[in-house]
Amino acid sequence: MNESINSSMKWRYFKQTLFFGIVRLSFLIIALALGGLLLYIVINGIGVINLDFITTMPTDSMTRGGIMPAIVGTIYLTVGAILIGLPLGVASAIYLTEYAVQGRMIRIIKIGINCLAGVPSVVFGLFGLGLFVVMLKFGSSILAGSLTLGFLILPTIIGAAEEALKAVPQTFREASLALGVSKWQTIFRIVLPNALPGILTGSILGVGRAAGETAPIMFTAAAFFTAKLPESIFGEVMALPYHIYVLATAGTHIEETRPMQFGTVLVLIAVVLGIDLLAIIIRSRMRRNKRW
Amino acid sequence: MDANMIISLHNVNFYYGPSRALNDISMDFPEKQVTALIGPSGCGKSTLLRLLNRMNDLIIGTRVEGKVLFEGKDIYDGHVDPVEIRRKIGMVFQKPNPFPKTIYNNIAYGPKLTGANAGDLDALVEQSLKQAVLWDEVKDVLNKSAMNLSGGQQQRLCIARALAMKPDVLLMDEPTSALDPISTAKIEELIEELKKNYTIIIVTHNMQQAARISDSTAFFYIGNLIEYNKTEKIFTNPDVKQTEDYITGRFG
Ligand SMILES: Nc1ncnc2c1ncn2[C@@H]1O[C@H](COP(=O)(O)OP(=O)(O)OP(=O)(O)O)[C@@H](O)[C@H]1O
Ligand SMILES: [Mg+2]
Repeated sequence: MNESINSSMKWRYFKQTLFFGIVRLSFLIIALALGGLLLYIVINGIGVINLDFITTMPTDSMTRGGIMPAIVGTIYLTVGAILIGLPLGVASAIYLTEYAVQGRMIRIIKIGINCLAGVPSVVFGLFGLGLFVVMLKFGSSILAGSLTLGFLILPTIIGAAEEALKAVPQTFREASLALGVSKWQTIFRIVLPNALPGILTGSILGVGRAAGETAPIMFTAAAFFTAKLPESIFGEVMALPYHIYVLATAGTHIEETRPMQFGTVLVLIAVVLGIDLLAIIIRSRMRRNKRW
Repeated sequence: MDANMIISLHNVNFYYGPSRALNDISMDFPEKQVTALIGPSGCGKSTLLRLLNRMNDLIIGTRVEGKVLFEGKDIYDGHVDPVEIRRKIGMVFQKPNPFPKTIYNNIAYGPKLTGANAGDLDALVEQSLKQAVLWDEVKDVLNKSAMNLSGGQQQRLCIARALAMKPDVLLMDEPTSALDPISTAKIEELIEELKKNYTIIIVTHNMQQAARISDSTAFFYIGNLIEYNKTEKIFTNPDVKQTEDYITGRFG
């Protein structure tokens, strides 16, 4: 009797240890892969990083000098994409969750949005080329590139905003409506402010994507080389991901510029993390006295 | 009854989709009195309450038949704005539901956005909190989050928030069921005080509470109004056997 209880406990203990072991191992593999990747980039790229590298124009057919215009360009494009994607995405999510009568039509639209999230980015690039660059005659420009990237991150933002809006307790809406406050005022004064931290969290994913994609800006915004910074939103820009692509594939100095390529990758990662950090700081500010 | 009737229901049916939740209800609510709605769970008390300020409109697929008159006008008439109705007929919910804002802003929210009573907000906030007997407890922390208050304080804050709109009627759906006995006693005292100026319609599962605070009591059973009379009469000598069984705890 005692024997069998003992052995069944042992078996259970063994299973538990095994299971935790597997979970730990998976975590370790991911951490190692990620750490290894970062380490590899840092080791190869850190050598070229200095103040000049991030503050000066490229020289000698881009084999020397800095990458300042690409940094500036990527920041312009990413901020532009957020300015376009965030309001549009939040507005769509508000319509989908707060106004639309839930039914088959809305379900189909939501599936469509999810599919859009999986469309290869080069398709967005061609779409941007066709619509913004050619048809609307924006040319290859910050505007066209931001619009294209804005559309690229739209599904991410809509998804994040929908989740965040749904997480706002129904009792808040009822409390506001029962006071005789109109529906749209309830949404703008109660629902949206409480959903905003969640919207930002989800949108961070979109920011990384907007900053890092090459294909969507290749035809719509990015220049191989510009001698000076753009003067308006109709100007072309250099951008970090495209610059890396150019250095690594085009020209005759591919091997020679290897350290610069890694340095540029490192800067790109830093820019993305910087924007994320900004979003996180804004979010924690907003959350300060919003607990429920 | 001698009092003026502020709300009257004439042959009201209510449907959630195909299923009927209220059957042919006709009743009048006297002005500046407390009316209690009692009955077993699922009999339609909340449905009736939410029908009176058109909160049921928010649920898709609901339908009302019959007439619901507020001060003589049918609130389900085509050109009546439900938002206007809700300003005159306030509501307090079962679970206290303050906004995640400061105490001050919880009260000021409604008047500010609707432009009603927006003259002197500070005075209005103070007056509303005093009416809800919460002022002395919170006057020094008006700019602190309302989420830090106790459950009973939160519920009084919700009452103050509703009062700040200067409604005529206050609907309360089991306002004390989530509260401890002391907070409950405070809210009951408060209701006694408020009925001088407001018509109060309250849903409760607590028979003693209904007996203590209400002037009239209506007993519902599966969507039907079984008996409606002076509270004294209902609790001492009800006309219908079902009512007696319910209030003496023989079923429900
Ligand atoms: N949103 C809804 N959709 C469909 N049916 C509903 C909905 N809300 C309530 N009902 C149904 O209507 C009937 C009356 O419900 P109601 O909430 O009014 O009862 P109640 O008397 O308030 O009960 P309780 O004392 O438990 O709060 C019940 O049969 C319930 O299942
Ligand atoms: Mg109820």
